[in-house]
Amino acid sequence: MTTAVIALEPRVSAALAEFLLSMADDEFVIGFSDSEWTGIAPILEEDVAMSSIAQDELGHARALYELLATVLDDGRDADALAYDREPEAYRHARLLDHGRGDWATTIARRFLYDTADAARLASIGEGWAPLADLVAKIRREERYHVMHFTIWADRLARADGDARARFVAALEMLAPDASTVLAPPEGEAALLAVGILTRPMAEVAADWRTDVARTLGPLGIQLALEPAANSGPARTGHSDAFRWLWGEFTSVRRSEPGATW
Amino acid sequence: MTDNGDRMIDEGGPVAPVAEATGILEPYEVFRQEKDGEPMRHGGNVMAPDAELALHYAREMFSRRGESVRLWVVRRADIGVLDDLDLLQPPLDRSFKKPGGYLMRDKLAAARGRAGTSKPKARQ
Repeated sequence: MTTAVIALEPRVSAALAEFLLSMADDEFVIGFSDSEWTGIAPILEEDVAMSSIAQDELGHARALYELLATVLDDGRDADALAYDREPEAYRHARLLDHGRGDWATTIARRFLYDTADAARLASIGEGWAPLADLVAKIRREERYHVMHFTIWADRLARADGDARARFVAALEMLAPDASTVLAPPEGEAALLAVGILTRPMAEVAADWRTDVARTLGPLGIQLALEPAANSGPARTGHSDAFRWLWGEFTSVRRSEPGATW
Repeated sequence: MTDNGDRMIDEGGPVAPVAEATGILEPYEVFRQEKDGEPMRHGGNVMAPDAELALHYAREMFSRRGESVRLWVVRRADIGVLDDLDLLQPPLDRSFKKPGGYLMRDKLAAARGRAGTSKPKARQ
């Protein structure tokens, strides 16, 4: 894919690169992590659905890394950006540092992530056409992801006994880190100034918290979600669970550096 | 996506009616339209706890690569089934009711000639 590079001020370009990297890493990490359910999901139909959604996310990550490659213009392609970094250089949100855990944890993580991701995508404006065009496509798939995991959240919360208990425990375990997806990016002011973002992330996060409460409230779940922290601590200092995942997803690439696959 | 043969409509088995969806997995029959204007055709089935998830699973199984433009799901237990298959087998020779043996093509062409119309095109 070639994307026409549209001249951006250096300040905007640096902020955009950081923002693209964080979104791409989010999609890449959750996509790869959830792809581990392939073959072992609770039922065959959901196995196919989860695998397909995980592939959607990897597809979004690929498209975002490709855009990032045009912005950075440093010779690295999407694969190099996805695979050739040390774990510390990844900028996914701390929410995704939690491993997929059991099925309830996976559903809780997906529900929190997909609702936050949808809010983030909705806040992206027309400031940089290549991103605006891509976001319009991504949102058409993410709409389904939100529907799917909202249904699952609803079913687990309404189930009796173990299913509900595990789901609520998972939500509570993830809640302190959930808003890291919407941590204001460094250089947010520059992105707002040129219309790449249309609203400050703090505002987006506040609306997202209201939306989550509106879904979980009727299910009798009160979740204490933090206002979004700033992106430094929200997206650095990754967990052992992520370092393990990194070992998995880079293992083939590292087995033969420079090979043409 | 089910193989519990005793409930397979395709094999003409009986269907035990269940009052309403219970949240337990049960078969849903999937109908799909391949192109706008074409009839809905039976595509297969999925197991799901309710119609909402059945539609999600139908989407994954029957249209994730754009193979369908429209989907329906029907809970198999909600399908009316004719139990007495003998009713479908005429016991006496009714072959005289079948139109085989008549050649309509020439008559139709002559009628169209009189009416000044042409043969309708096949549907796209």
